[in-house]
Amino acid sequence: MKRTETYLLNMGPQHPSTHGVLQVKLTLDGERIQRAEPVLGYLHRGIEKLLESRTYVQGLPYTDRLDYISSMNNNFGFARAVEELARLEVPRRAEFIRVIMAELNRINSHLIGIGTLANDLGASTGMLCCFRDREYILDIFNEVCGARQTFHYIRIGGVSGEFTDKARALTESFLARVPRFLAEYDKLLTGNEIFRRRIVGISPMTPEEALALNMTGPNLRATGVARDLRKIDAYSVYGEFDFDIPVGTHGDNWDRYIVKLREIKESARIIRQALDKMPEGAIMAKVPRVLKPPAGEVYSRTEGTRGELGFYLVSDGTPKPYRVHIRRPSFVNMQGLDLMCRGMLIGDSVSAYSSIDPIMGEVDC
Amino acid sequence: MFGKGLLTGMGVTIKHFFGKKETFCYPEEKLPVAEGFRGGNLTMDWRVCIACQLCAMACPNKALELKVVTDAKKKRHMEHYIHKTGRCLFCNLCVEACPVHTLQWDKNFAFSSWNKAAMTHDAVSDADRTDLKELLANIEAKAKAEAAEKAKAAAEAPAAPAKQQADAKGGEA
Repeated sequence: MKRTETYLLNMGPQHPSTHGVLQVKLTLDGERIQRAEPVLGYLHRGIEKLLESRTYVQGLPYTDRLDYISSMNNNFGFARAVEELARLEVPRRAEFIRVIMAELNRINSHLIGIGTLANDLGASTGMLCCFRDREYILDIFNEVCGARQTFHYIRIGGVSGEFTDKARALTESFLARVPRFLAEYDKLLTGNEIFRRRIVGISPMTPEEALALNMTGPNLRATGVARDLRKIDAYSVYGEFDFDIPVGTHGDNWDRYIVKLREIKESARIIRQALDKMPEGAIMAKVPRVLKPPAGEVYSRTEGTRGELGFYLVSDGTPKPYRVHIRRPSFVNMQGLDLMCRGMLIGDSVSAYSSIDPIMGEVDC
Repeated sequence: MFGKGLLTGMGVTIKHFFGKKETFCYPEEKLPVAEGFRGGNLTMDWRVCIACQLCAMACPNKALELKVVTDAKKKRHMEHYIHKTGRCLFCNLCVEACPVHTLQWDKNFAFSSWNKAAMTHDAVSDADRTDLKELLANIEAKAKAEAAEKAKAAAEAPAAPAKQQADAKGGEA
């Protein structure tokens, strides 16, 4: 008697397209995916607990290791939360430098997102081009803080080093490159028929579904919801800049790719305005040597590269936080994976992971 | 037309054969590191160091193991400055904490090792320690000599007032 049944396929944790150590249990009906269940925890380091056993200042370098591609944004989020808790005023110049760094890091992160998507779909040249252009951003970071990863540059109360003339010149020359490399990606990837066929109409998502799953960042904006905390909250000095929020229409892999590509352009616009408007002055507020925020709690959210990055801190008046919880966008966005994979072919699951663009350091925390 | 996009993409790739080279041969050629580069082992001069241990207190991950000796004059000196690179976050908090600015990175980023033992580094070398021992011995000898001199002076000094006292007592009698 003929009998059909579903079977289970493990994608990862050693699969090169799973971006680190993500394991996905695929329940398959032939070649079609019925269910995709992410298995997390391979990269868990207990960062929330590590932060609770260290002072606020000592905890900051650990946030570099959450989403290790966008360390600046993580530093920014944690520093803002502590400043809110300790009621610190940040100098205006420092805020501008922070915005420049956060936006450069957003471009950096999106370049990796696009590059790895291309690589996972077999277009290795696309990946190399993205990594080539990312190198120019790393040069700027190296100049301002002496590190190419795990920057620890945005500190509680300001930034750790001056935005030098050399850093400004590097940023200017990078901004001049942006339209050139975007045009190159359009030729290399956007117009490539194979690339298009692999992502257009694959893993679509409606705005309702995305909102129900609490997705944020480019994944939500690709479905057509123009939700960006830089506009909604206008935190830091984002209210002073003129920029648009790129949105998609179908919420498929193609829209997620295009939204990232357009966000690079918008980030470059913000950096341009921030460079022009940057005032002179101090880069660090007066932070007490032993920082003891008054007892209380705070939830501070910023627009990280992958969505809403929130830090929930509870202070009991001692130099160490009583409780830290981090709302990591990659972790929450992973909820969408099952929905995105259902009904798709096995090969499309790879493009679904890539377009969600999760960083396992942040998912497992 | 199907395939036009592919050909355009190929054109981009082919162009790279003639453009500026973006890569370099790493171990032979090395890029210059930035001025404030954080990497490699920590270096410090024990002659400048005041052994305040603020660096170890600033460290978030207990990557510094310090051994401090006190000389005969109660001044502290650094005997061992062990930097465990395996635990280090390279966050720069120790360097920023140094009040005498003697703590620096050696910027030698290619320091990966095959075993755990090589992941600890003592910034105070054996030669430095020999010098330190010499210095400690000198200070101790000096302190001893000073103490002896003081004791001698003290032994002589009370003798005079005692004689005076005796004289006074004799006068009264």
